[in-house]
Amino acid sequence: MANIELDDLEVRLGGRVVLDGLRGSLQGRAIGLLGPNGSGKSTLINTLLGFHPASRGTARVFGHDIRKHSDEIRAVVGYMPENDSFISDMTGIRFVRYMAELAGVPPEQALERAHEAFFYVGLGEARYRKLGTYSLGMKQLAKLAQAIAHGPKFLILDEPTNGMDPMARQRMIQLVREVRDAGDITLLVSSHLLRDVEETCDEVLILKAGRIAAICNLEEERRSNRKFLEMETVGSIEAFVESMREMGCECATYSNGRIKVVMPENVEIRDMYAVAARRSVQIRRMNHRRDSLEDIFLNAMEGKSMTGAAHGSL
Amino acid sequence: MAVYKRSYKPYVGPLTAISRRWLVVARFSLATAFSSRISVVAFVLCMVPPLIAALIIYIANNELVQAAMQVKSSGALLINNRFFVIVLEIQSWLALFLTAWIGPATITPDLSNNVLPLFLSRPLSRLEYIAGKLLALAGVLSAVTWVPLLLLFTLQSQLSKTAWFTENWYMLPGIFFGCWLWIAVLALVSLAVSSWVKWRIIATGATIAILMVPAGFGGVINGVLRTRWGFLLNVPYLMTLIWTDLLRVPLPLQAVPVPLAWVAMLSTAALSLVLLTRRIQARQVVRG
Repeated sequence: MANIELDDLEVRLGGRVVLDGLRGSLQGRAIGLLGPNGSGKSTLINTLLGFHPASRGTARVFGHDIRKHSDEIRAVVGYMPENDSFISDMTGIRFVRYMAELAGVPPEQALERAHEAFFYVGLGEARYRKLGTYSLGMKQLAKLAQAIAHGPKFLILDEPTNGMDPMARQRMIQLVREVRDAGDITLLVSSHLLRDVEETCDEVLILKAGRIAAICNLEEERRSNRKFLEMETVGSIEAFVESMREMGCECATYSNGRIKVVMPENVEIRDMYAVAARRSVQIRRMNHRRDSLEDIFLNAMEGKSMTGAAHGSL
Repeated sequence: MAVYKRSYKPYVGPLTAISRRWLVVARFSLATAFSSRISVVAFVLCMVPPLIAALIIYIANNELVQAAMQVKSSGALLINNRFFVIVLEIQSWLALFLTAWIGPATITPDLSNNVLPLFLSRPLSRLEYIAGKLLALAGVLSAVTWVPLLLLFTLQSQLSKTAWFTENWYMLPGIFFGCWLWIAVLALVSLAVSSWVKWRIIATGATIAILMVPAGFGGVINGVLRTRWGFLLNVPYLMTLIWTDLLRVPLPLQAVPVPLAWVAMLSTAALSLVLLTRRIQARQVVRG
C-alpha cells in the first residue's frame, strides 16, 4: 500500500484551479515536495489535512480517503506549518502540552512528552519562556516539538528550515533525519530548498503550476548513479570495451578515449581496473554520474517527463 | 524520548477518546481567560450582588435581625418573583461585561496567532473547537447567573417559615432556562465578534457596542415612529422581558410580544453562530 496516493486530485480555490488532476503513488518513507512558489505545495498539504475540499478526484493517506476518513488521517498526523502558528503569550512547554493533549495524549503524559520534545529539539532551557520571545530559529524548533510530541505516524513539515541560519538549518535537518530513522513514521517535507529535500528524503514529488512535473525515487536514483560511470582513458579501448561488455556492462565510446559505462549489479569498480590493467588501458579519470536533485528539478521545470527512477540508459 | 537521552522515540501510551478532545479546548481556554488578574477581579465582583441578595434573604427571614436593624419585612425586604427578576437583571448586566472581557480572551489569541491550522490538523472539528470555547464561557457565565440564583432560591426556601417553595417553585425552570438563553446569546455574540475583530480590547468594546448600539437605535425608532417594535433591537430589554414573563411578573404595557422576544434572541444567537463558523477555518481562501 502506498503512503500517499493521488487519484485525479483537483482542488479549486476562489474559483481558480490550484491542483489540476494529480495522479501518482508515493511509497517513500520520506517524501519531498518540491516546486516553485505557487505550484500548489501548500495546497496539497492543506488538502491532505482536510483544510481544502477536493473539487474532483481524491487522495489517500495510508489507504484512508481524504474525503471520507479525514479524522483517521488527522489522528496520525503531526503538522509543522510554514508560517508562525503558536500562542505567543503561552510558554513553550504549555503550548506543546496543549497540542499533545489535543492529539489524544493524556494530560500527565502530555506534559512529560512536551518536556522531552523540548529537550530533544534543543530548547530545553527555553521551555518556560513565552513563545513570543523566541527567535525565528527557536520558533521553528518549537513548531517541530509540537508536531512530534504526540508521536505521529505521518509527519508533515512545511518549509522546516525557513529563516534558519546554516548551523540551525543543519541541526533541523539532523533532527528530521533522526525522526525519520527512529521508527514507524512517514515524512512529507515541503521545501523550496533542494538540498533540504535531498538530505532528508528518499522520494520526491515535483509540482509545477498545480500539476505533477515529476515523481522521482531518489534512493533508486542514487543507486543507479552509483552504477553509471564516465571515464577518460588512454590506450586502445576496443578490447577494453569488449571485455566490459562480456562482463555485462553497457558501454558507449566517444572521441579522445571517453567511455560511458552502466555497470550491472554484480560488477564493481575494482573489476574495471582489473580489466583495464589486463588490456593495458590507463584510466585517467572516472566519475560517477551526478544527476543531482537540482538536475532532476530543472529537467522537470523544463517539462522533461520524469516518473520513477532515472534509468541508466545511454 | 527521555530527556537525558535526547533521542526521538514515538509515543506508544494510551490515547484519550476522540469524542472528549474538545474538553481540552474548554479547559485551556478557561485557564487562559483567567490568567489575567482583571478577569479574576471581575469574576469576584460578579459574586458581590448575590452575596448582598443572600444577606437580604437572611434578614428578611430573621425577625431578630430585623428588630435589631429596625426594618419590617412586609415592605422593602419582601422576597418574591420581583426580587429575583431584579437580581437576575443585575447579574445579566454583570455577565454581559464579564463576557465582553473574557470572551475575546478565549478566542482572539488563537486567531491572531494563526493557531487554527494546528488545532484543526488534529482530530478536532470546527464545531468541536467552537463547542470547547462555548463551554468555557458557559461555565464562567453559569457561575455568575443561574448557579447563584438557584442557590438564593434554595436559601429562601430553607429560611422561609411559610410554604414559600410550593408557591414559587415555577421560578426554578424560569431562572434556569432564561439564564441559559442569555448565556447562549452572550457567548455566541462575544465569540463571533472576537473572531472577526481579532484584537482583544477592540473585541471587548465591539461586543458591548453590538449589544448596545442597536438598543439605542431601537429607542430612536420607538421615539420617532411612536412604536414599540424598536425594542426588538434591544437585546438586554428583550432578555428582561423574557425573565419577567418566565417569573410571572406583570409585563409593561408597551412590551413587545414575548414569543417575538424569544424569536429575536434566538435569531441573534443563530446569526452569531453562522458568523462564527464562517470564520473558524484552518485556511482562509481569498477569492479572485
